[in-house]
Amino acid sequence: MKSELLRLNDASRRQFMLDTAKTALGVTLLPGLSSKMAAAEQVASRSGPGTPGFGKAKRVIYLWMGGGMTHIDTFDPKEGATKGFSDAVRAKGDNIVSLGGYLPKLAANADKLSIIRSMSSKTGVHESGTYIMKTGYEPRGTIVHPAMGAWASHFLGRIKDKTLPDSVVVNSGSSYPGAGFFPPATSPIPISNPETGLQNIEPTASDVQFKKRVSLMNEFDTGFRKKFQTDDVKAYTEFYDETLKLMKSEDLKAFDLTQESMETREKYGRNNFGQGCLLARRLVESGVRFVEVQMGGWDMHNTIDNAMTNNGNTLDTAFSALLLDLEAKGLLESTLVILGSEFGRTPDVNENDGRDHYPLAYSTVLAGAGVKGGYAYGSTDKEGRRPADKQTSPQDFLATVGHAMGLPIDEVVMSPSSRPFTVADKGVPVIDIFA
Amino acid sequence: MNTKPILLAALAAASLSLTATAADMRIWTNAQGRQVNASFVRLDGDAIILRTADATEHRFPLAVLSAEDQAFAKTAKPEAAPTVTANMPATEAAKIVDGLVLNGIKRSAEERTKAGRPVLTGFNPLASDEQFVRRVYLDIAGRIPNYEETATFLKNADRTKRSKLIDMLLESEGAKTHLYNYFAEMLRVKDDFEQDNVRGTPYIGWLKQQIAMNRPWNEMVYEMATATGKMWDKKPDGSYNGAAGYLLRDSGMPLDNLANTLTVFLGTDVACAQCHDHPFADWTQRQFYEMAAFFGATTTRLGGRDFKNGDRGKVLMEEIEKIVAANPSLDMRRLRNGLENYIGANRAAVKDRGENTLKLPHDYKYKDGTPGELVAPKFVTWSESDTENPAYKHNDQDSIRVRFAKWMTHPENPRFAMTIANRLWKRAFGAGVNEPVTNIDDPESSVNPELLKHLGSEMVRVKFNLKEFMRIVYNTRAYQSEVTADNLPMGEKYYFQGPMLRRMSAEQAWDSYMTLVLGKPDTYKAPLQDLYAKSIDLNLDTVDAQTVLIKYDAYRKMAEKERALMGGGLDMVGEDMMMQNKASRSTKKQDPEAAMDGPGKILSYEGLRLMRASELPQPAPGGHFLTDFGQSTRNLIDGGSKVGNVPQVLMMMNGKAQKMLTSSDSLVFRNMEAVRDPYERVERMFLTIMNRRPNMSEKDIAKRVLAQGDDGYSNMIWALINTREFMFIQ
Repeated sequence: MKSELLRLNDASRRQFMLDTAKTALGVTLLPGLSSKMAAAEQVASRSGPGTPGFGKAKRVIYLWMGGGMTHIDTFDPKEGATKGFSDAVRAKGDNIVSLGGYLPKLAANADKLSIIRSMSSKTGVHESGTYIMKTGYEPRGTIVHPAMGAWASHFLGRIKDKTLPDSVVVNSGSSYPGAGFFPPATSPIPISNPETGLQNIEPTASDVQFKKRVSLMNEFDTGFRKKFQTDDVKAYTEFYDETLKLMKSEDLKAFDLTQESMETREKYGRNNFGQGCLLARRLVESGVRFVEVQMGGWDMHNTIDNAMTNNGNTLDTAFSALLLDLEAKGLLESTLVILGSEFGRTPDVNENDGRDHYPLAYSTVLAGAGVKGGYAYGSTDKEGRRPADKQTSPQDFLATVGHAMGLPIDEVVMSPSSRPFTVADKGVPVIDIFA
Repeated sequence: MNTKPILLAALAAASLSLTATAADMRIWTNAQGRQVNASFVRLDGDAIILRTADATEHRFPLAVLSAEDQAFAKTAKPEAAPTVTANMPATEAAKIVDGLVLNGIKRSAEERTKAGRPVLTGFNPLASDEQFVRRVYLDIAGRIPNYEETATFLKNADRTKRSKLIDMLLESEGAKTHLYNYFAEMLRVKDDFEQDNVRGTPYIGWLKQQIAMNRPWNEMVYEMATATGKMWDKKPDGSYNGAAGYLLRDSGMPLDNLANTLTVFLGTDVACAQCHDHPFADWTQRQFYEMAAFFGATTTRLGGRDFKNGDRGKVLMEEIEKIVAANPSLDMRRLRNGLENYIGANRAAVKDRGENTLKLPHDYKYKDGTPGELVAPKFVTWSESDTENPAYKHNDQDSIRVRFAKWMTHPENPRFAMTIANRLWKRAFGAGVNEPVTNIDDPESSVNPELLKHLGSEMVRVKFNLKEFMRIVYNTRAYQSEVTADNLPMGEKYYFQGPMLRRMSAEQAWDSYMTLVLGKPDTYKAPLQDLYAKSIDLNLDTVDAQTVLIKYDAYRKMAEKERALMGGGLDMVGEDMMMQNKASRSTKKQDPEAAMDGPGKILSYEGLRLMRASELPQPAPGGHFLTDFGQSTRNLIDGGSKVGNVPQVLMMMNGKAQKMLTSSDSLVFRNMEAVRDPYERVERMFLTIMNRRPNMSEKDIAKRVLAQGDDGYSNMIWALINTREFMFIQ
């Protein structure tokens, strides 16, 4: 019932479209494709060493608002027909003007933020929306694409002189794209609870006994590993090797929040997201390159005013504490803090006083690492329904991050299955937001 | 793409038989004197087709055979092709499935050659008994077999012992919890519905009960789609109305719920049509809304108009306030929020309001409708002939939601039977005949269309009896083959020459640990399942303020009661079955009821509750073994993960679970202590943990290790549970 297209893989689908275009339309390229190619050329001229902001982000903290963050009640407040339940607050930073009333602390620190208000994507589904905002690709049944931390490990190499991982993801669920087609060792370490950090780092036996056990494990497993040389089995063996290295690491205290004063811990908010942000600061301070901190509860189909009162406060407190802390430690100049979500929420409030999924317009936020302060890039129309100008895709957003990290975003990398991929799938970095 | 269940006659016409018994086998000799032991299949022109004992067909010119054999072949009766009959035994039905798998393997030759992969000649070799017993326990009962179960099977000389074990396991408690885990992951079943105090407990209980009763799949799904009322409403037979949990799980998100319904039950992934026309398929946004309109008269949250006298929540709160004000020991400020949520939970109910009110979204941009336009319900079709399909006939007396449920679960629905059949196939083999299982876009483009359609028609033939369907799958030669050892790149077609090598799911891993700890983990059940339903239920039409306060108090005490039940340590495990060791082991006074079935104490070890994953919180809390191992957070369909990570490995090496197993209290040690000879002990250790005997070199290793000191046994236990062999299902 479906056209031939769906049965083809990516590459052959593209070829099929080209062929169809040639024969049926009498043109050599589909309009969409030609603009993509033009965009690719643009990337080459606009990113790379010497361009504004390139490589300034030595570390990245990605604040993930899981569930679809309402843009109108947070970073893109509106008056009139679609106004939310709270009044907007005046933001420090002229260009931003105001933020949603649930975010007073961030409004007072808006001079550190750049907001992209003209985000727009195609999918209103949690799974694929999340996947695109983390990998720059739509999910496919035939490959898993790498998240940004793994791309950075690929191009910049593993972090030297450290036994810590390159990437960490805090408060995560189990299905995370992670390393994608890159080696499993480049996948982020998941920390399910920041309060407890990394658990089980001490062996329950003496060092001598532990060593005996490990070598015994390898001996008993020889036959199996010889017979089953599959990617899955090899990946596990790599994880064991990585973990054994990490267990000896001096840097492990980076995962331990009890090293922080009570005062600092309170400042971030005593909840998983707040403490996760604090953990993120500790980790980037110790040299971890890419930390994602997840926060749930944004799927506000019902009584959004209540939900925003809680979530807004948690976000407001943690995000502003993180910015101030990074600044005080002198880390903000080299640390990029970004905030994203799978989509926005409907400008119209539904019958349950909530808002539903809305991918056509939403906001992302960037701060630190040479990003302009108090700057709004792009805007939505009067009611927050569509980008009014400078429409920005998830790919453009991630390309901006890749650019800030100094990744060669136009360089083609072949997956083990010999398919070509680039950082953020040919997105065009938003150079304007860099000072 | 006619997707009606295929005609049985077509099957009969194909050559599928695997019925060659030892009696049909004979020695064939060629002109050079070389011999082969095979059964006669048929002549095909100048060619002869023979089948060897490994079920592979061989075709070669008749002329190469000796004159005597040629003469034999010309008079021999061709192998009868078996036909599906209404009540054929599973072992026979399995042979027909095998025939179709073999056909698919043969057809793969061209594609495999093109891809530079070795051509497949048939099934992988038959799995050994040791491989089989471990695998089939994990696949059906969701855990490894314990020592006795392993030893009993291996010693058994009965030629039909495999199918007997399958029969036994399908009836086991383990099969129920394992299937529950599967559906809980597929349906995103949770304890916490994230709405007031609404918990999934009655829904979970209902689902477990349906599985225990082996309720036909079509009836289960029908009930989920049509249930009305609160989850904790009592039905005339005393059971709870848990099926309402299916719609209430996604309360306030009717479009998401519909997308999930189509995805999991009909293998039709139209989620993106929620917002726009499907980019590659024929699905339009309008079609999506037309489907959603079947639920357009249904609410999952009661409002004032749904009660006889309006919503009394506000009045009740005012009355409660007065009572509280008169009682100096109570503080309204501390009670208000909790009470409001408590009352609010009783607004979570499914109700049909009569009129469909679903409208096209206000940003609708296609020419076939206008924003805000009322949408009439209409079924999608997968092919033009579908409208003639009996599933599409409806009864005007039925409500629109019932019409949808009848259409969806109809045996002739083009996707319903096929979808669950394909899913259960994947559950056994590691890959679906159609991938992904959430999107059977076109059965013809699946890896083996004939097989896919046959499995769908078998599901209909067994009347959606999932146990019966699984009995067929697990009895196939394909399933009982060794797993495929080659690396299979993601997205590569798989032809079912045997199951794929799979990592244990989080639940299988945990439940296997529980087997190592408890021996018979199925006897330990979470108590107090009922308490929630009893204490949360309020009839908002009639309840008075005093009753609300009393019941709210009971509700809050529920958690305390549960905590009070915690207790009981490792040394209490299996009191009933390990009597012979009791005297030597019991150093402190114990409650002999502790380990018994029923609402006894919950055994725990350093805060870990020792019971199967299905009896623990759904999903397990962050930082639990299950979470680290990739248990689904129950937000996404089939959301579990089988990928490794550092915390998981740390837990395997240093966590509580390994500590529990290597302690001299553990059941593994107790199994070993039943014998004296160190080598017999090592053998028991291997049979307990790996479900196989140690090989020669492993015995040598064990000898060396035991000579080094007392901690040899616990070191070996630690090593074995940390092997890849332990984690992966062969």
